[in-house]
Amino acid sequence: MISEQGRILEKLLSGAFICQISDEDGWRYLKNSGHAQAVEGYLNTLNRTLASCADGDVFFAGYQSLGDDERKVLTNQFQETAAGLLPLVEWLLLVQQAKADDVPLAQGQAIRLPELQTQIEDTPAYKEQLAKIARYRLFGSTSSEVDAQLKLVFKRLADLGYLIKPNQEKQIYLATGKVEYLFDVLRFIDETESLSLAEQAEQAASQGSLL
Amino acid sequence: MNHNLQQAGVKLLNTLSRHADLIMQVYLNGSLDEASTTPQIIDNLVKAGVLWRPESEAGLRLKSAVRNLLESSLQDERNRQIDANIGSALGSLKTLAGHYKEALHYGRFAESQGYLGDLREHVYALTESLGNSVRVLFGRINNEFGYVSSIDAKIRENELAQSQVSELLRQIELFRFDELSDLAGANRELRLLLVVTLQQAFARVNQELSIVQGRLLELLGRFREYRGRTRLLKGFVLHMEQHPGFEPGNYAKLTQVPMLFNQATGVMGPAHADVTNVAHEAELHQLVGRIKALYHTPKPASERTASTIVVQQQAAITVEDNALKKAVEAYFLQVIDSGKRLTALDYLQQQQLEFDPEAWIYQVIGGYQGLSAEEQEYFAIDTTGQPHPIYSGNFIVQDVELGLR
Repeated sequence: MISEQGRILEKLLSGAFICQISDEDGWRYLKNSGHAQAVEGYLNTLNRTLASCADGDVFFAGYQSLGDDERKVLTNQFQETAAGLLPLVEWLLLVQQAKADDVPLAQGQAIRLPELQTQIEDTPAYKEQLAKIARYRLFGSTSSEVDAQLKLVFKRLADLGYLIKPNQEKQIYLATGKVEYLFDVLRFIDETESLSLAEQAEQAASQGSLL
Repeated sequence: MNHNLQQAGVKLLNTLSRHADLIMQVYLNGSLDEASTTPQIIDNLVKAGVLWRPESEAGLRLKSAVRNLLESSLQDERNRQIDANIGSALGSLKTLAGHYKEALHYGRFAESQGYLGDLREHVYALTESLGNSVRVLFGRINNEFGYVSSIDAKIRENELAQSQVSELLRQIELFRFDELSDLAGANRELRLLLVVTLQQAFARVNQELSIVQGRLLELLGRFREYRGRTRLLKGFVLHMEQHPGFEPGNYAKLTQVPMLFNQATGVMGPAHADVTNVAHEAELHQLVGRIKALYHTPKPASERTASTIVVQQQAAITVEDNALKKAVEAYFLQVIDSGKRLTALDYLQQQQLEFDPEAWIYQVIGGYQGLSAEEQEYFAIDTTGQPHPIYSGNFIVQDVELGLR
């Protein structure tokens, strides 16, 4: 039998994110600082370190020291992340608007696919938005059907680790801690590039209300 | 008088119950669709003080007293009204207590009992309205202002509730228990009402309001977080619309790469089966057992259709018997023709063949062995030679002699 520590190490080393939704046992284990230190010791042997985001609620493995090879990997990875930002952000907004409660998606929230589909099918603006999102290279859909587009987008997001499907027979998805990671990335870019995104949105909203 | 009042009250309630459907319709819609009913009924309800017309052009609406009754009995969450007018309620309590004490002083007991009853009514009404206000607040918090859809509206609702809480708290501070206690003096009934009942209500409401306030702040924090996230998302989309070529700097090139972008690639590959591990034998056996024998690999249909096979005459190849073999045959024939014994080397010399003697002898022996058992019967073959001088058991053949049996 593999120990809990071994299981978590394997998960971290294979590049997975560990959060309360995707792996509650592992998350609890890492929340214990003694356990986290032990895991860190093993990871250091392989030039890895235990990294966390979203206020320490999401764990993943990062490099301990960066050589040229590691930087090359990170550069590629970053370019992928940056290219995927817009499709993901548009998807998040679509889900938030179509869910009717206007609450942005966060870790642990459920999305009921059939309900979302009905909402989107009934609203032409959402339909257009979905079609636009599904055509991005990140998803790469060629279908013109809402059903196929939505299924593809959700499957892809589940593959990327943003969503999990707790029950294979039900079309209910849960957002994982990787969604929180995405928000962290956005906030970081916002601050580093001094984009003041929130102010832009607020201004646009106030101008929109004047019109 | 009392009897008349009761009669009138029963009549009013009967009117309400008779037109219950209509009243609920007005309650839900806000105003009455006058075409849906007869002018007589409308007239009746207006006279009974259930409906009223705020302006000559406006539709008929429910009187606020009826609306309040429905809201508080149905615990309707849309009820945002909070009655915080405690100052005037306290004023009337003090006045009534003064009347009561004066009546007692002059020995007018019947009158004093009337005042006491009124006073009791007012005290209970006050405590009930306080409890009601808190309950309304809690109701709105518990479903997180679910009756409005957008986050901004929820934040506004939250701010309204907060201002109502602080207003309530400010009003509650008007309770001066020392004054009330002085007013009650040594009178048992008054003390019970003004000090004990009110104080209990005061303590309960105070405690509940502080919980409400905490919850409201917590909710406000959460709503602001939602709003922040929404603005972040919308701002990003907006920014990308205005600057389509925007690309964030490559943070992986910084000397200090932020932890957020330092994600190690996966290094774990699957392990391999170890067939020498005895502990795994059972599992490996099972795995092997599950492998299905597949004799045909799937091919596309085009390759699987029947095709004609052209059978052609293969180019004939005849192997030329080599000279050595022919010579051996000739030697055999001569033995048969002459019927005499003849050694192989003698024949070689007779015919002056240019073969290596050793190869010749090998070929002769080989030729004899190559005959069928039946043909071998006709010939006798004898070898001449000598044993090897050093190694025993080895016989060196120097010649073979062939004859007919």
